[in-house]
Amino acid sequence: MEVNTMINTLQDPMGIPFYPILFQVLMILTFSLHIMFVNFVIGTSFLSVYGYLKGGEYWKHLSRSMVRAATSSISMAILLGVAPLLFVQVIYDVFWYASNMLSAGWVISFVFILMTAYSFTYVFYLKRHSKGNSFAIFGIIAFALFIFAGVIMHALGYQLLQPEKWLDWYVKGNTTDTSGASLHAFQISRFLHFIVPSFAMTGILLMLYAWYFKDRNDKDKGYLQWAGRMGANMAFVFTAIQTVAGFWWLLSLPSEFRFFLDPFFLISAVLGIVLLVCLYSARKDPVRYAVPGILLAFLTILGMSYARESLRLKYLGRFDYSIFNYKLNLDYGSTFLFLSTFVVGLVIAGYLVAVAYKSGRVAGEYVSTTSMNRWGKVSIALLLIWIAIVVGLGIVISVKNY
Amino acid sequence: MYPIWEVPNLSAGIILGIIATFHILPSHLSVSAMWFNLYVETKAYRENRPEYLEFIKKYTLLLLVFAYVLGSLSGVGIWYSATVANPRGLSGLIHNYVWGWAAEWVFFIVEVIGIFVYYYTLNKVDIKTHLKIGWIFAIASWITMIIITGILSFMLSPGKWPQTGNFFDGFFNQTYWSQLFIRTTLMFGIGAGYAIAVSARLKNDDVRKLVVKTASRWGIAGLFLGALAVQWYLKTLPENAHGLLGSIVPKGLKTGMVISFGAMILYFVYAHIKPLTIKIVPAIFAIAVLFIGIWSAERVREIIRKPYVISHYMYSNQIIGSDVRSKGVKSEADLINERGILKIAPFVPSDLRSINEGNMLQAGKLIALIECSACHVLEEKGLRPLPQMAKRLGFTEATAAEGFIDSLGAMPYMPPFHGTMAEKKALVAYLVSLNR
Repeated sequence: MEVNTMINTLQDPMGIPFYPILFQVLMILTFSLHIMFVNFVIGTSFLSVYGYLKGGEYWKHLSRSMVRAATSSISMAILLGVAPLLFVQVIYDVFWYASNMLSAGWVISFVFILMTAYSFTYVFYLKRHSKGNSFAIFGIIAFALFIFAGVIMHALGYQLLQPEKWLDWYVKGNTTDTSGASLHAFQISRFLHFIVPSFAMTGILLMLYAWYFKDRNDKDKGYLQWAGRMGANMAFVFTAIQTVAGFWWLLSLPSEFRFFLDPFFLISAVLGIVLLVCLYSARKDPVRYAVPGILLAFLTILGMSYARESLRLKYLGRFDYSIFNYKLNLDYGSTFLFLSTFVVGLVIAGYLVAVAYKSGRVAGEYVSTTSMNRWGKVSIALLLIWIAIVVGLGIVISVKNY
Repeated sequence: MYPIWEVPNLSAGIILGIIATFHILPSHLSVSAMWFNLYVETKAYRENRPEYLEFIKKYTLLLLVFAYVLGSLSGVGIWYSATVANPRGLSGLIHNYVWGWAAEWVFFIVEVIGIFVYYYTLNKVDIKTHLKIGWIFAIASWITMIIITGILSFMLSPGKWPQTGNFFDGFFNQTYWSQLFIRTTLMFGIGAGYAIAVSARLKNDDVRKLVVKTASRWGIAGLFLGALAVQWYLKTLPENAHGLLGSIVPKGLKTGMVISFGAMILYFVYAHIKPLTIKIVPAIFAIAVLFIGIWSAERVREIIRKPYVISHYMYSNQIIGSDVRSKGVKSEADLINERGILKIAPFVPSDLRSINEGNMLQAGKLIALIECSACHVLEEKGLRPLPQMAKRLGFTEATAAEGFIDSLGAMPYMPPFHGTMAEKKALVAYLVSLNR
């Protein structure tokens, strides 16, 4: 069977409820946020172990802050990973499912690996004040498992791009390999391009950490300065290494793609260089460059994610696949449900983040201002209105249909 | 048809079942726990009893770690296991309900940020603000239930969707409200079970008494209302599901539900009378008893959906069995019967695409793998093993097995055989070979 025919046979006949571009944009945007938090997870769990083992007042302090940051980063990474996982199944269903089925055992292991890693991180967090170094083992194993989870995801994402090899991976003579026990494809340069930024991004996180607490008188200024400076150095060095990894990956791409001319690649490469320059200056004054640094870094990630999508279109275009040809079965009702829910969600999540942000900036108890109180009330009201509308709609439909 | 994943002696479906059932423990905790927290925290605020906050801190940590570590990961685990158990089924759901899931995800964001902020700002922000965060979390959590119930109930009873293809027609189907009511009430039983377990670790006896007494009342109310809702649910079930409930649902599952319900009621009553005697081990044991009930109920829900994964659309073996005209989707039955499953499925060894004397058994096995392995393992032992069935049904010769295959469509829980005559003969030959 031709690869094109195979793809057409496998594609879901239901079609999609809105134009593919919306799913694509949402997928890339949420993936960028996801991978940023994945980077934080890897970087903070590394630093938490490193600081714990290295010892000394500053390093121990940093280790405790980092392991706490790791726990919430993991939650955010999972949370933000759900959305691209959903959207990839909408517009790349064939490729995602085939790749998963070919390594199904690893797909399931991935979940248990993350559960173990996350639980171990919590053990390390809850025992962060304990004497001696024995609990470091939990942090070390968690870190190793996070990297391994990355290996699995990388393989799934890379197998997806090579439909011409799927049959060879599955069929052995006259039998089929239904064990799902192998990871079939791995590209070291591509993998590194996802992992190396962890240390750069966590460096920027440390700069933000120094910036956020700069006005808190109960915090040790010397420590914050030290952490910010180390962060800036780390961010600069690893962004430089990332540039090398990026070029390595670029050189290992099929030459017919001529990817070095891809506009998304060029934009993100320029952003990366600007970021590198910014981080170079940040080494002298990390606090000043913290906010522009994270914004620029996120833009670079977003650009890279677009470039990665552009690359995926090139890989799959070899088999005449384009998400823009996906069958449409427009459903305005449910599209509107999501978009309005999304806006509501931003208002509410914004309130929660604002409370966290403001309360962390003062040493004692934070008392909400009038405007914050109003924001809180509006958030609760929005949730109740959402329920009223959806339940109301449900009652109308149920009465009409039954 | 995608490649297939065989799990020795089990099946990918059972892996999905285990993860999904486990997920109910943290997910229903997540939906119910905050209501309990709000009650205790409001009481602490109104009666000026700051010692009550000790419970809030502990219960929230449980929620944070259990629901948002194991809960959110097992939630993701459901997706991954559904992917590898039934990719086309999941794909069919997603291509209809992507915006439903995406909307649920928005509330998931609110939940996750909410629980972290709630936990870390306890005693660090004024209590009114803290309570607001609690309310936001509690309501957003319940909304995730409003949404996911629509998608879950759609799989069992798609309502008017097969005719209209409309999102909301499938979502607000005939079993939607009763299922929502069951989950909403029972979640308080689950939340109460956890609250009592947490209270066993509290130092202050007054707080412990308050928590256990309140929780046991909530638990009893939740279970009783849940039981009433189950009666309503049974009335709304589609006819086919009713038939399966009476015929093929194993007795053990029904007993599991009844015993779990009875034991939990007794447990809550006892806890209410002697709140300080409940220690951590029996409290965890009670959660395990609850788990048996949930496991049984969820298995029943899976079984009464047979022979479909999405009722009136896709069979459990991922073959599309009906047209959905409004979506321009055609049944695959005619195509497969005419051309053959081994011809149109992409992942087939090239030598098996046409059947001959030499490859008959291998082709038959592959057909069994594609059409039967979702519910029957091909090995000697395990989940409804085909070799045992071949022996029990006496497939000593081709005619017996062929007659059985022809009758599949008439059985309420089995998908009909799809394929050409030659493919049927190959499957028959394979089944007969299993009996040797």
